[in-house]
Amino acid sequence: MAFDDYKADYLLVMRAEHGSVAPAFISKGEEIGDVRFDIPYQLITVLSRIYPQIPKGKIAVVVRKCDELALNELFKRGIIDGKRIFKIGLACDENIIDKCRCPDPVPSKVDIGEPKKGVAEDATVTRLRKMSPDERLKFWVRQFRKCNKCFGCTITCPVCFCENQCVLGERTLVAEKSIPPGLAFHLVRSFHMADKCIECGECERACPAEIPLLTFRKMVHADMKELYGFTPGDEKTVSPLLTTLEGEPLEDEKNVC
Amino acid sequence: MSVKHVLTTCPYCGCGCNFFLQVVDNKLVGIVPDKTDEIGQGKLCIKGYNAHVFVQHPDRLTHPLIREGSQMRKATWDGALDKIVSEIKRIVAKHGPDSVAVFASAKCTNEENYLMQKLARAAIGTNNIDHCARLCHASTVAGLVYSFGSGAMTNSIPEFENANCLLVTGSNTLETHPMIGARMLHAIYSGAKAIVVDPRETPLSRVAHMSLHQKPGTDIAWINGIARVIIEENLYDKEFVETKTAQFEGFKKVVSSYTPEKVEEISGIPKDKLIEAARLYANSDRAMIAYAMGITQHSNGTETVKSLANLALLTGHIGKESTGVNPLRGQNNVQGACDAGSLPNFYPGYQGVAAAEMKAKFEKAWGRTLSDKVGLPMTVALQLAAEGKLKALISFGENPMMSDADITHVEEAFKHLEFFAAADIFHTETTKFADVLLPAACYAEKDGTFTNTDRKVRRVRKAVDAPGEAWPDWKIACELGKRFGAPGFDFKSPAEIMDEFASVAPIYAGISFDRLEKEVLTWPCTAKDQPGSRILHVGGFKIGRGQFALSQHAPPAEETSEEYPLILSTGRNLFQYHTGTMTRKSPKLEREAPEPYVEINSGDAKALGISEGDRVRVTTRRGSIAPMARVTERISKGVLFIPFHYAEAAANMLTNPALDATAKIPEYKVCAAKVEKA
Repeated sequence: MAFDDYKADYLLVMRAEHGSVAPAFISKGEEIGDVRFDIPYQLITVLSRIYPQIPKGKIAVVVRKCDELALNELFKRGIIDGKRIFKIGLACDENIIDKCRCPDPVPSKVDIGEPKKGVAEDATVTRLRKMSPDERLKFWVRQFRKCNKCFGCTITCPVCFCENQCVLGERTLVAEKSIPPGLAFHLVRSFHMADKCIECGECERACPAEIPLLTFRKMVHADMKELYGFTPGDEKTVSPLLTTLEGEPLEDEKNVC
Repeated sequence: MSVKHVLTTCPYCGCGCNFFLQVVDNKLVGIVPDKTDEIGQGKLCIKGYNAHVFVQHPDRLTHPLIREGSQMRKATWDGALDKIVSEIKRIVAKHGPDSVAVFASAKCTNEENYLMQKLARAAIGTNNIDHCARLCHASTVAGLVYSFGSGAMTNSIPEFENANCLLVTGSNTLETHPMIGARMLHAIYSGAKAIVVDPRETPLSRVAHMSLHQKPGTDIAWINGIARVIIEENLYDKEFVETKTAQFEGFKKVVSSYTPEKVEEISGIPKDKLIEAARLYANSDRAMIAYAMGITQHSNGTETVKSLANLALLTGHIGKESTGVNPLRGQNNVQGACDAGSLPNFYPGYQGVAAAEMKAKFEKAWGRTLSDKVGLPMTVALQLAAEGKLKALISFGENPMMSDADITHVEEAFKHLEFFAAADIFHTETTKFADVLLPAACYAEKDGTFTNTDRKVRRVRKAVDAPGEAWPDWKIACELGKRFGAPGFDFKSPAEIMDEFASVAPIYAGISFDRLEKEVLTWPCTAKDQPGSRILHVGGFKIGRGQFALSQHAPPAEETSEEYPLILSTGRNLFQYHTGTMTRKSPKLEREAPEPYVEINSGDAKALGISEGDRVRVTTRRGSIAPMARVTERISKGVLFIPFHYAEAAANMLTNPALDATAKIPEYKVCAAKVEKA
């Protein structure tokens, strides 16, 4: 791996350090070191904390397919300038594909790794779909009661970018007193991420309580697709939740009311 | 432009999670959990995710300050250090070295604690060295050393996941050790049976198999009750008891009177539940006990710890994978501060100061004549200061004006000191009494190691420069030591200090910074070619046999009365940490728990006409504060709980300074109180 390959001023990768694997943001001229691809750090989240501090220069970053989608969400909102990013495509290995129950693991351009097939379904999603609404609620209550309010699901999320205006800090929505927080905590977050989440699964990996948050996301996703024909991660399409209603046709209205 | 991800260890609780500090040009911008860390596994709690926020706060101390009348004036390092040394020397000349005490800190590194105790012992000439372990697990160190020969967790943190029975008492694990709590959740959701015994319902007890609520101060009763059931029903490990333990017959006799009926009367735990819990614990083959302040912070804390250890001796639930007795240490480096010898009775590595051969060993190592007189525990030192018998104090980062019991009395101690020097990262409730105040570097600004609660020695790495002229505490200790004229304070780096520590403390003998770059080391680590022991007491006890203790229930030092009908207990919550010096300067933590509060049972509240959110007055024989009422079903009737994080309504204005006879730990968990609408 060399800077010249990417014509970049900075390189964001993972590498072996102190017996661990670390995210590494390397400036041109610095030693690149022992680059690793086996530990799934969410480099887009890592990038988004650093990016505001780096006013210029081109950044080459290792991206999985989901990271590409996350970048698209950030590009179209103007949070990161796409012209400054050079993507180094990483095809995920079977182990990670399996853990993410990922249907679409191959980036648009593969620079590292061998393209592998995606997984057709999330077994928990299938199981939950077959449950009655009551059973399903019980399943999620049993999961969410483990929540210890670390906010890891928001802090590590690549497309969670409201920072100090996070709705989860609103007392009217999420009371501060209780651990676990009420269901509102998860539902508010779920709604807020509905048109951004690109199913990278970082929330689930970051959850100390092992709540199957990716499964939760996948179910919301299916609804978004069914209701609006919309899937996040597209560089151009604006979220249907953000469109105004001014231009909507009204012909059907009299029939409904 | 320089961007770094610096691997370091969390400065909050004893879990010791590793994370990367994200630094852009000396500015901290975020935290990324280390996915390859076996403790955190790429996860953190809310405090961990916010551990960078206080570091570059504008209120950090940046210059040495010297008192001039009621004012603190900026000073040079030379001026401040010379002042400390000349004042201490003057007081030593007049009153002897034992009129001086040094408080080390469980927030500081192992290397710093090693030097702080060396400063007290080799430079000043006193064993009056102690730190806040006195206030948390002093009774564990005393109790488990008696029972097993070692006062630390017998297992490692990951082992909680594979236990099939968890007996958790006096530990609100999910709030106070979140990443250990997460392991327990994993075990519970995988089918393990958890028994939580606590006067309050906790986030963990609400998902546990059994949640029992004892009356505060009755722990020995229910623990002996469990032991009696196990013996009566022949569920104990006879072979283990016979070959590995001592004093069984005496123990059997003591617990024989703790019938389930009697235990129910004393503790309020229903007898059927007690029997069920006893059977569950005894019959599980991977049973782990975990406990914390609810067991230790009593005027009979040492005996309570021993009684818990008795259960493991009785069932042979010790010395095996996912099987043992685990005191969850509170501070990031409280284990390490004890290991490094910041205790009045132990040199580094738990080598007794009263033993002639140990004294000789350290006199040779340090080139100074040492005192063989056991020093003063922190709590006793402050009492003597209030009486004018202790004259001078150097404190590194301690905040007794918030953390010690009966603050009004603690204030007397600080007012009476002839000379008080403090080093800290912020102004605190305690530093306002300082004659000299030194600005210290915090964890993100220095190198070193912390030893977490499961005895892993973990690296702390410098990520950013300290503010202004602040120094790391190890450098402060070195400069003080040199100025006292003592040899052996000429260290250039924490790595060198660790080398000396390892050379004098056999349990750290195999540990060095070079090795820590490549591998995880756990003490006891006695040789350079072994990684140390994750599980203690495998195959037996180093002291020969595990000692059963003949612990008897005794009422707390202060019982309820007509005037003070409620029991007040104190502790902490998930979002704040101890005296709040760091967390209350972290907006996202402060947002979650911004106000002092008292938890009160809804029945009690109703009887007193108190509603949720009311300002109330809580009063004990020592003082009175006005927190907000949190009315809840989740605390036993007759019990109040107040977290001790809030200076504006400091819980320790109320607490009872009664001390455990052996460990000198105060009884934070029980005192008599009344509450009324403010």
